[in-house]
Amino acid sequence: MSKCTLEDLQKWDDQIVELGKQRQLDWYEIAYETCDYHEMLGAMAYHGMPTHYNHWSYGKSFEQQHTHYQLGMSGLPYELIINSDPCIAYLMLENPMYLQILIMAHCVGHSDFFKMNRTFAHTRADTVVPRMRHAKKRINSYIENPHIGIEKVESLIDACHAISYQVPRYPMDIPSLRENYEIFRKENVQTLKKNRLELQDLPYQPEYDILGFCAEFGQDLEEWERDVIQICRDEAYYFMPQIRTKIMNEGWACLQHYDIVHQLDLPQEYHIPFIKSHNQVVRPHAGRINPYHLGFHLFQKIVERYGYEEALLAREVHNDESFLRQYLTREDCEELNLFSYSSEGGGQYVVDDVSDEQGWENVKKTLINQVGANSIPTIYVESVERNGTMTLHHEFDGRELELNYARKVVEHVERIWGAPVALMTMIDGAPYEL
Amino acid sequence: MGSVFSHHRTNADRSAKDRSRHKEKIDKALKDGIHDIVADESIIGQDGKKKIRIPVKGIKEYRFVYGSNGQQQAGSAGESDVQRGQKIGKKQQEGQASQPNKPGDKAGEEYYDVEVTLEELAEYLFRDLELPDLDQKHMKEIMFQKFKRKGYRPQGIRPRLSKKESAKQRIKRKKAAEKQGTIKIDPETGEESFPFIEQDLRYKHIAITEEYASNACIFFIMDVSGSMTTNKKYLARSFFFLLYHFIRSQYEKTEIVFVAHDTQPYEVDEEKFFGRGTGGGTMVSPTIEYVIDQANKRYNKASWNLYAFHCSDGDNWASDMDKTCKLNETLKQMCQFYGYCEITPVDEIRWAGSTPLSQAYKHLEDKKFKVGHIHQKTDVWKCFKSFFGKQLSLEK
Repeated sequence: MSKCTLEDLQKWDDQIVELGKQRQLDWYEIAYETCDYHEMLGAMAYHGMPTHYNHWSYGKSFEQQHTHYQLGMSGLPYELIINSDPCIAYLMLENPMYLQILIMAHCVGHSDFFKMNRTFAHTRADTVVPRMRHAKKRINSYIENPHIGIEKVESLIDACHAISYQVPRYPMDIPSLRENYEIFRKENVQTLKKNRLELQDLPYQPEYDILGFCAEFGQDLEEWERDVIQICRDEAYYFMPQIRTKIMNEGWACLQHYDIVHQLDLPQEYHIPFIKSHNQVVRPHAGRINPYHLGFHLFQKIVERYGYEEALLAREVHNDESFLRQYLTREDCEELNLFSYSSEGGGQYVVDDVSDEQGWENVKKTLINQVGANSIPTIYVESVERNGTMTLHHEFDGRELELNYARKVVEHVERIWGAPVALMTMIDGAPYEL
Repeated sequence: MGSVFSHHRTNADRSAKDRSRHKEKIDKALKDGIHDIVADESIIGQDGKKKIRIPVKGIKEYRFVYGSNGQQQAGSAGESDVQRGQKIGKKQQEGQASQPNKPGDKAGEEYYDVEVTLEELAEYLFRDLELPDLDQKHMKEIMFQKFKRKGYRPQGIRPRLSKKESAKQRIKRKKAAEKQGTIKIDPETGEESFPFIEQDLRYKHIAITEEYASNACIFFIMDVSGSMTTNKKYLARSFFFLLYHFIRSQYEKTEIVFVAHDTQPYEVDEEKFFGRGTGGGTMVSPTIEYVIDQANKRYNKASWNLYAFHCSDGDNWASDMDKTCKLNETLKQMCQFYGYCEITPVDEIRWAGSTPLSQAYKHLEDKKFKVGHIHQKTDVWKCFKSFFGKQLSLEK
């Protein structure tokens, strides 16, 4: 297949854009960047961000993906697009033309989702690129500062990454906790009977924003440390919507590329490889959930059952959890051949429920438990003692924490908080303190 | 609203810095974790130059995650049918365990293969260790020749030409010529010409110095009797193998005498010593006697530091015990350090002072004589460290 030129891409893009508008899509303009596979791997390591602060974990991520790719264990993803205005998307020059067409139509779907889905309402897509660039500059300046240096910066970022998923899950703008607490105190001055913010009274309510809480009220933190924590927190708020809408986001993009490409006047020799690639993307993965597969299936069903308008509405208001609750029916579970299983130990698994009359609801429940942010344990700051000891509480929902990991994370939190940290959870049906 | 196309502006290799930091972390993990692998089968018996691949655990990034016990997960069966209660095989493990015989304890546990030579390993391992109480003995032997730069000479070989010194010589000569007014003017350019001549050239001079160091002789004594099972022999060999590489990497001039014994001592070469042994009963005293004898004959105490290390499972004939203890005392007096290392694998721990040798030796233990115990692979390094750790010698 001959290499595609920018003119070719532009020509196809014009048609895709036209069809996208007809389909009532409303998206951020897309800036495509063509690159080779090495640059693609490089961009992937940093979640596609054009600039990003340095940390060894991204080097690790690069090495892993590079090894997997070289061993043929995984191909490269076709698309890489970031939630920014304009959206930045990467096109690998090695890809044949039909694949570029598929990717561009797919990207229109993603960009529309970023712009329209309300989970993303507070991600401030217009400023994300300069924000990341500025963050990188600041972190670099701390690394180069002889009084701080790479070791300290790195270990702090290690610690922040350990709890970066521990941010509120509902869509919200990134708040200033100190201001919020001050407002709360003034409004409840009667019941609190306090005339100023005092550490041992905090938090007034369960605080799910552990990073934010540490950055505001952490013990003896230096200015640069608060800044690094805020940088990691900002990024966590930014990425949380993508975690919460993986299935919908991919499903929506697949629906769009599938329909758009079918409406395009595709040359005969592109058609079969396109269908092949599409099926490759949306095929079920045995024993697991392929978000492309599940999302594409559900959006197609929604269009079938309730019409395209309903699909447009769904992509606006839902996240993975509410989406599945609302639209996943018994018929879907059966068609997708969903089942639930649990470990028997020793790498053996046993099937618990299948999608039949009495089992499908349990399967659905299990599935919902593992989508979006539900796969991440919910942990909040419960209280702070007078001596600074912070107590974290794990919201137990029947699933136990992996204690070896939890211990390490608590150590990381202590590094950030600057005082002892305790964690309350449940093990074997009894309260357990770490 | 159209899209914009452009070529990706490559900012060099953007992840290079983070990759090298990651590599540094892995190297550090290797150094920290190296003690766990010293008794690994793949290492024992290799020669120093050979490269060995060591799996190093990936650097983990910890987060709060759910444990896998009793947790339900949902999946899609695709085309195939599944039944309630059906057993399904290993879930496809994500991530990559590159060492098939050492799978991670969790899905997604990664290993990185790091290649090192045994010599490099030895360097990591033995950096902080030394032979205890190595004395400067009065009769010295040349240990090695050292090459050292020492001034400049007008003669020498071309590679050692010192441009700086030669230029200085030329300047000196030029200044002198200026005073004399004998500088030639190049007829073609009209400029002064003052080329280098042979006498300007200076060469770096290399002097050979001889350094003296202490001599040491080390007796490796290993019980190869019938009661030494394969496992025990393996542990003993691990210990001696470490010792051997320790000595070889840290001390240039040392002699090692290998003595295997059952009821009789056999002086053997290195290869036989580390290879398989014989069977038979155990009697320790003839061996100790032999070692004392040889030490007296071949290595005069005045000029040699003597060391002896004995690995055994602790068996000895009861009637031989008194003699053994007496001889042991003598050997101890002769040596700078004498280590006894008892091998009792975990599956047959009868130790706690119960074997004849350890019971008898317990009372002899002091600064010059130490008893170590090896029950399993991980003890090899502990025992080794207890013999040679610097902090131990400092305490004394």
